[in-house]
Amino acid sequence: MSSSAFRLQHRYAPYVFVAPFVVLFLVFTLYPLIKSIQLSFYITNGPKSQIFVGLDNFRFLWSDPAFHKAVWNTCFYAVCSVFLQLPLSLGLALLLNSRMVKGRDFFRFSFFSPHLVGQVFVAVLFSVIFIPKFGLLNRVLHTLFGTAIDTKWLGNPELVMPALVLTSLWMYVGFNMIYFLAALQSVDKELYEAAEVDGAGPIKQFLHVTLPSIRSVAVFVTVLSTIGSFQLFELPYVMLNNTAGPDNAGLTVVMYLFQNGFVSGDLGYASAIGWTLTMGVLVISLIQMRLTGTWKKED
Amino acid sequence: MADRSFADWLPFGKAPTLILVITLLAGVYLAVNPVKKSQATMRLWTFASNHSVPYQKAVPSFEANNPGTKLDVQLVHGDAVNSRLRAAFWADLDVPDLVEVEISRAGSFFRGPPDDVGFIDLVPILKKTGYYDRIVKTRYAPYTSRGKIYGLPHDVHPVVLAYRRDLFEELGIDVDAIKTWEDFVRIGREVTIPGERYLMELSDNNASSFEMFLFQRDGGYFDAEGQLIMDNELALETLLFFIPLVAGPERIGSDLGSGRVFTQAVEQGYFMSYICPDWRSKVTETDIPRMAGKMALMPLPAVEEGGRRTSTWGGTMLGITRACPNPELAWKVAEHLYFNKAELAERFRATNILPPLKDAWEHPAFDEARPYWSGQKLGRIYANLADDVPPQYASPLIETAKTKMAGVISASAVYYRENGDDGFEAFARERLSAAAEEVRRYIRRNPY
Amino acid sequence: MSRAKIMLYAALAFCTVLMLTPLVWLIAATIKGPDDLFHYLFFSPPSRFSLYNFQQLFSQIPYVRFMINSFFVAGASVLVQLIFSSLGGFALAKYEFKGKRPIMVLMLTTMMIPAQVMLAPMYELIYMMGLVDSYLGLIIPGAVSVFGMFLFRQSMLDLPDDLLQAGRIDGCTELRLYWDIVLPVQRPMIGAFSLIAFMGSWNNFLWPQIVLHSQERFTLPIGLNQMVGLYAQDYGAMMAGTFLAVMPVVLLFFLLQKEFISGLTAGAVKG
Repeated sequence: MSSSAFRLQHRYAPYVFVAPFVVLFLVFTLYPLIKSIQLSFYITNGPKSQIFVGLDNFRFLWSDPAFHKAVWNTCFYAVCSVFLQLPLSLGLALLLNSRMVKGRDFFRFSFFSPHLVGQVFVAVLFSVIFIPKFGLLNRVLHTLFGTAIDTKWLGNPELVMPALVLTSLWMYVGFNMIYFLAALQSVDKELYEAAEVDGAGPIKQFLHVTLPSIRSVAVFVTVLSTIGSFQLFELPYVMLNNTAGPDNAGLTVVMYLFQNGFVSGDLGYASAIGWTLTMGVLVISLIQMRLTGTWKKED
Repeated sequence: MADRSFADWLPFGKAPTLILVITLLAGVYLAVNPVKKSQATMRLWTFASNHSVPYQKAVPSFEANNPGTKLDVQLVHGDAVNSRLRAAFWADLDVPDLVEVEISRAGSFFRGPPDDVGFIDLVPILKKTGYYDRIVKTRYAPYTSRGKIYGLPHDVHPVVLAYRRDLFEELGIDVDAIKTWEDFVRIGREVTIPGERYLMELSDNNASSFEMFLFQRDGGYFDAEGQLIMDNELALETLLFFIPLVAGPERIGSDLGSGRVFTQAVEQGYFMSYICPDWRSKVTETDIPRMAGKMALMPLPAVEEGGRRTSTWGGTMLGITRACPNPELAWKVAEHLYFNKAELAERFRATNILPPLKDAWEHPAFDEARPYWSGQKLGRIYANLADDVPPQYASPLIETAKTKMAGVISASAVYYRENGDDGFEAFARERLSAAAEEVRRYIRRNPY
Repeated sequence: MSRAKIMLYAALAFCTVLMLTPLVWLIAATIKGPDDLFHYLFFSPPSRFSLYNFQQLFSQIPYVRFMINSFFVAGASVLVQLIFSSLGGFALAKYEFKGKRPIMVLMLTTMMIPAQVMLAPMYELIYMMGLVDSYLGLIIPGAVSVFGMFLFRQSMLDLPDDLLQAGRIDGCTELRLYWDIVLPVQRPMIGAFSLIAFMGSWNNFLWPQIVLHSQERFTLPIGLNQMVGLYAQDYGAMMAGTFLAVMPVVLLFFLLQKEFISGLTAGAVKG
């Protein structure tokens, strides 16, 4: 290779390497983002016909009781994810981190395996497990605790959300545990020794050594969990048989978007919903990161 | 560099290499089995296998009678028919010539100016060929919009109650003495043991059970002019009547699910009876073979003595699309599949579905005694009720209305469970109007 | 065994039971005969084992075709993402160039925005490109994984620059550097990323649901979801279908457990 060609390729290599990302970003991220802002001002009936309505989509959205229900459900789910799931994951990680445990790999695999299954397949499995009278859950609960065997889970508006939370607990506790476990294992042992020398018991050690040390991971996991919760769609959609459940009990914001955009066919309205969701998520993530004092992500 | 191990030749490592191999294999398979572009002259889409199977059987005879044509009957899964059809109408991609659409979805295709509707108006040809009067007239209603009929009705779907004759006899219930719902509910309260035995399968979380009652009383979601009537006094009365049947201490019905679960429920006597339109009787025969000879059918109890003893559940239409280049040929297909009396008799034996063509019911097949149903003449039972089947009126928003109604039912059931009759009427009225108002908002918003 | 140890193992065992019970039920469900699905709580007596559910599954939906579709789309997606993300990550890790900062900011923003906001216009875009109802419509939009770029950048940062310089002095082109020097060391990260990407594509539901119309092109999640909707549900077949759909990912995970875990935590812990 000639020396000038060599220099050229050295100089331009990085541009070539990131080119695929840039091109795809421009086409499949930037363009749709901008287009979706534009689309949100129209009512559409498929890609061919559009009618300009200005802010009407947003007005309708704001006053639609179904949307309110969707927001409520999604927030409820997000709160449960952060305040139920994460402590459980941490607890599990703490258990597994103990020096006394043998066969850590086995436990790790068992705790993680639910996550491998994927939302759709978990939904199919659990839709059968939740069947009243004959399904696994009711039969076990009835045998162990004597609860009514024909309790309806997915057919009862009040139990749909708890059922969803339970299912996602099952799916994600192991996943988040992995992060916590890795963080726990990289905590400096000397900090613990120093604390012990100072006379701190296990609880004090946990509060003053463990928690601060895993702080950045905890924040990362929390933000990830929150963003993920707001995007909840497949799990309830498949579990509730491609519907939003009784009295919209399982309706999430993304499901609402999907129904209006891709079942009824109004892509304009779907864009309006999408943007509202994005704004919401961004605001909440920013608040979260501010609160925990980690605005910057590494360089 | 001579002693590189084999693994070093795979720059990305073993996992990606494995994936590469699998992808290549899959790719080869797909290349060799591409999605076939249909070569047919006439293409028909349907969404139910109990339709597609008999149609495919009828294809050879059609092609024999119309040489040079090739008829392709394609089974497209339920929801996909609607999204594919919609996508096809929008994009002019791949529109079939004939499509079967389910009753609750049909209305959404009639949206917009009449010229935009993707189906052709069948009134002229129905009148010209004389079929118009030979079909049960109320069955045009769900597929009619602004005076144009966009679909041929596939069925009538009269509803009766299927019940465990042996259990009824054991418990001393005299079926002939049940004339009205009052009689039925009274018996229900005596025999129902929640968690163990319900007199009837009834749902408290979707609208299908409720609709049966509503239609029986001449109620509905929309009236003949397309006005929303889901929150009128009749609907409210029906709601007030219905909810205590599925919620609260005096309930007589519950629901579980379908398929295997339902089979077990019926076999164990968990449900002693259930709403049975004609198609469901065949599902019963297929799914619950062990109850052969123990089941029977009875007309619905009437609301008032002497009143209507049936209702309706479900339906399918066959539409000819505007994009079809040869509507005359398409009509021949429709005629062959829907109006061929000998085929209809066979189809009835195979599916129990009563065709809407009245003179077809003269065929002896409809008077055959059925051992599964304790020797009853299933065909005649349904045929006798056919003229009484109440109409349902179409609207683009019928699906929305149904969903909102399901919400009202769920919420009312929850309220009733917690509060009983206390304040129930006010709650139900308010919830029902709120739901109707939501539908009206959609109507107002939609320029189409 | 000390008391603490016993309690520890008891707690772990309890959690394991909770986690694995539904999966055990799934496996049991697949081999139960036609009437036994709800009759026996878990496994039926071995004499009643049957492949009925699998037979039903294969006769009701074109399951094999769905599986092949899934393999093709997931496999192709992984390979494409692997190449583009590792190249991009490499550029970001080992080069200084104009536009590096903006690109990283862009990447961050993409990760924060929920994909659903772009669904509608992306669908229109795909429709205009004529890629509706096609495999490419599934593979191309996701061809670069930002998450992957971050992962690879993270793990390539540790590569000593001297190694690269030495290569250049020897006359290696940048591409050659990437291929011969950088990649071999990245194998663990590649393994981890392959699994993550494969899982993501394999389980992907929303986008394929929107894009694909012809049944012959359906991937497994959509195909299985169809069964959920049919009016007479065959739970046994659904369970068989779920089981088979989960197997490939589980097997892949078995192969790559260690790499996967280390890859997953790389971004979080080091940060």
